[in-house]
Amino acid sequence: MPALEPLVGRRVIGDPDALDAAIWSGRDVVVLRLAPDEAFGIGATAVELDDEHAIDESEAGFVGAVLSTADLADVIARVDWSLPSDPSALAQGKVAGVPAKLLIGDPSLLVTHAAYAGELADRLGWSS
Amino acid sequence: MTDGSISGSGGRIVVDGRPIEFAAGDSVAIAIMRSGKVPGGGGTLCLAGDCGNCLATVDGVAHVRTCEVEARPGTAVAGDPGHGKPPLPIVDGRDLTRTPIGRELGVRRIDVDIAVIGGGPSGLAAAAAAAAGGGNVLVLDADSGTEVVAIYPGRSIVAREPAGMLHVRADEIVVATGSAEIQPVCPGNDLAGIVTSGAAERLQAAGVGLGVAVAIGSPPSGVACTVLDGRLIRFEGDATGRLRSVVTTNTDGSEMTTACDTAIVGLGRAPRDVLARMTGDDAISLVGSVADEHPLPAAPTAGEICRCMGTTVDDLASAWDAGYTELELLKRASWAGLGPCQGGACLPHVRAFIAARTGTVPEPFTARPASRQITLAEAAADTTIDAFRRTPLHDEHLALGARMDRFGGWWRPWHYGDVVGEYWAVREGVSIGDVSTLGKLVVSGPDVVEALERIYPCHVADIKVGRSRYALLLNERGHVMDDGMILRTGESRFVLSFTSGGAANAEMWIRDWVDTWGLRVHVMDRTMSLAAINVTGPHAKELLARLGLAEPPRFLGHLEADIAGVPCHVMRLSFTGEAAFELHHPVDGSVTLWRALLDAGRDFGIRPHGLQALFGLRLEKGHVIVGMDTELDTTPHRLGMDWAVRMEKPAFIGKAALERTSRLPDTRRWVGFAMDGEAPPEGSPILGRDGDEIIGNVTGSWTSPLLGRALLLGWLKRTPFPDRVVINGREAVVTATPFYDREGLRARA
Repeated sequence: MPALEPLVGRRVIGDPDALDAAIWSGRDVVVLRLAPDEAFGIGATAVELDDEHAIDESEAGFVGAVLSTADLADVIARVDWSLPSDPSALAQGKVAGVPAKLLIGDPSLLVTHAAYAGELADRLGWSS
Repeated sequence: MTDGSISGSGGRIVVDGRPIEFAAGDSVAIAIMRSGKVPGGGGTLCLAGDCGNCLATVDGVAHVRTCEVEARPGTAVAGDPGHGKPPLPIVDGRDLTRTPIGRELGVRRIDVDIAVIGGGPSGLAAAAAAAAGGGNVLVLDADSGTEVVAIYPGRSIVAREPAGMLHVRADEIVVATGSAEIQPVCPGNDLAGIVTSGAAERLQAAGVGLGVAVAIGSPPSGVACTVLDGRLIRFEGDATGRLRSVVTTNTDGSEMTTACDTAIVGLGRAPRDVLARMTGDDAISLVGSVADEHPLPAAPTAGEICRCMGTTVDDLASAWDAGYTELELLKRASWAGLGPCQGGACLPHVRAFIAARTGTVPEPFTARPASRQITLAEAAADTTIDAFRRTPLHDEHLALGARMDRFGGWWRPWHYGDVVGEYWAVREGVSIGDVSTLGKLVVSGPDVVEALERIYPCHVADIKVGRSRYALLLNERGHVMDDGMILRTGESRFVLSFTSGGAANAEMWIRDWVDTWGLRVHVMDRTMSLAAINVTGPHAKELLARLGLAEPPRFLGHLEADIAGVPCHVMRLSFTGEAAFELHHPVDGSVTLWRALLDAGRDFGIRPHGLQALFGLRLEKGHVIVGMDTELDTTPHRLGMDWAVRMEKPAFIGKAALERTSRLPDTRRWVGFAMDGEAPPEGSPILGRDGDEIIGNVTGSWTSPLLGRALLLGWLKRTPFPDRVVINGREAVVTATPFYDREGLRARA
């Protein structure tokens, strides 16, 4: 059964062009582009971007679970909105009624705020 | 009417406690009729699912069309009451949150190019044509077990299947649901023993005898009956509600009475288009007889027009005379069309009623989901209630015995079992509270001061780095939306705090205005990234010193510091009326910090406080809670908070409205009250001194352990504002706030 584990990294709000060209430092950094002006670099320890007023904060407020193909199917069964047609896109919406993000790939990643972790795990039947 | 013989018995069902045999393939309705009884409480039976005249409670589910349920051995049927509703299944009156009787249903989802609703010849032809065109086609057919109950905007179809619910999204929808037989409206049409031509044919096919049968209108095919030529006048019955004769007109206009057991009516057909009328979507097309024009029968003059709701033609006329002369209004006023068949039976007659009075035939009324009775389990299948957030200290609260409650979108500790003890810990010792739920935004950019000056009614530019200011957030009408703190962390960077429920709205509000003004400001919502613990009480400063905060900020100051090894943004402010420090920190350090504070404060008698104590503490200080104390049109002036608005500023959101309304008389004030005895409930009405006029309401109420009396906050809505009022039968005195520490010395200590 998957488990939602804390994700740490850096979250940045900045100019979209600057974010496009940002250089992320860290090990195995996975960057989630949450909005045109917002990105969360999972595993990032620093980020360089050309925006002196960017808000660059250490981030520990998300949790995530790596999903197997079967887990992903279970999660998608609890999604009642259309997933993006681009398979590599970051899908954002409610999973089982809980705000979440879904990065479909190999492997796939389910992300939510830590504040929703307990509720999401309960609804997906992942609570021990 | 029936000989009761059964060839090929399928078993027995139980109807109102009495077993009856059924034949293989019988519906419950036909099985009941085979036994010589009538399903439902009378009225014309269609046995096609169009009327609501065969409803019963089947296997515990109320309002089921028995003509659509296959009889199976052991099926339990109870007649729906003639009037009123079947009783709701009460599971446990002490705990209504428990799962009610019934099973949880799953949802199957399908996306298709074309969905065809109806598996008759027209539907199948449409499906074949669509498939030939290369489309991905799905046929949804009630006779095959998939009954569509709704079409929602966006071409979203909801259907029920034997195993659960089916949700279909389609690019195009073809409705091929055919037509329904028109029912008679005349005196006696509520009697048992009247069937449509189609129903008569079904009964004939099932081998159910009709006794002496007469037909009015188009006769059924292959059913032995006497066809009456004249116009239908009325049905006549006996004291049991059973049909005994039909009265029609002779060619000379006189009445003719014909005795019978069964009256068969063939009055034509009307499109069965309730699903098509649920949306105005151009991508929904109709094929077959559902696409026919709606016929207009003769205007009804007497009898029950809507059998489902018991609406008579006289009822309709009364509503008409009262001015409800438009179809949608007449429907609401008379209830015709609101029942189980959703107008399937009465709609043609209601339209004819209006047409006869206006000369204009109205369009059929709007239909809304669901077209059939569905259970709560079917309606709720795979839906979820709002998710409430948990702070990182949720499990700590539970371990401390907290009673948790939902507040502002979060689970929060309401108390830890001793509200008064929690109160005294704040007033005389030290206490900690979980305020992680507060809204927290970071704003940054070259135009950030300009933006905040325009957004807030207080001055912003003069807030020095390391200092903070309390602020109201107003909308364009000058009404209070939220409140919180503005903390300057750099020349072009601020932290803004908001109420627990207000963060998301505040972020949208600020982003929208910044975009509108074209200002260069970034906004980051940190509400769920940072937790916060409020350390408050006379010993708060000493406690924090033990954990490494040697030089705490002065009142309304803030600084960054490690406390118990956790990086914190320490803010000195006070909502409780005592010295207080909010420690904002990353959520992953929250448990460490919480436990360290409890350990280090043990000799101070530290204990956590919940919301209930916090609300009492703030009430003694007269602090407002936006959303609890405020109304949608509350202005700063009505709250007595003119000091938070600097009208000398050149501009801010809401200024123009405040200038305009300041010149108008105002009859509302949010004030404090004090009274002897226990505090009355929040929400209590406030009466004038004579006790017979409600002049306001209580928004906050607390029996102060310190002051030994009830303290209240609430609204006065009559002028001149009185100095004494009556609340819960007792006199209360309007009292200036704060009730406690008027000079604010303790908060600054």
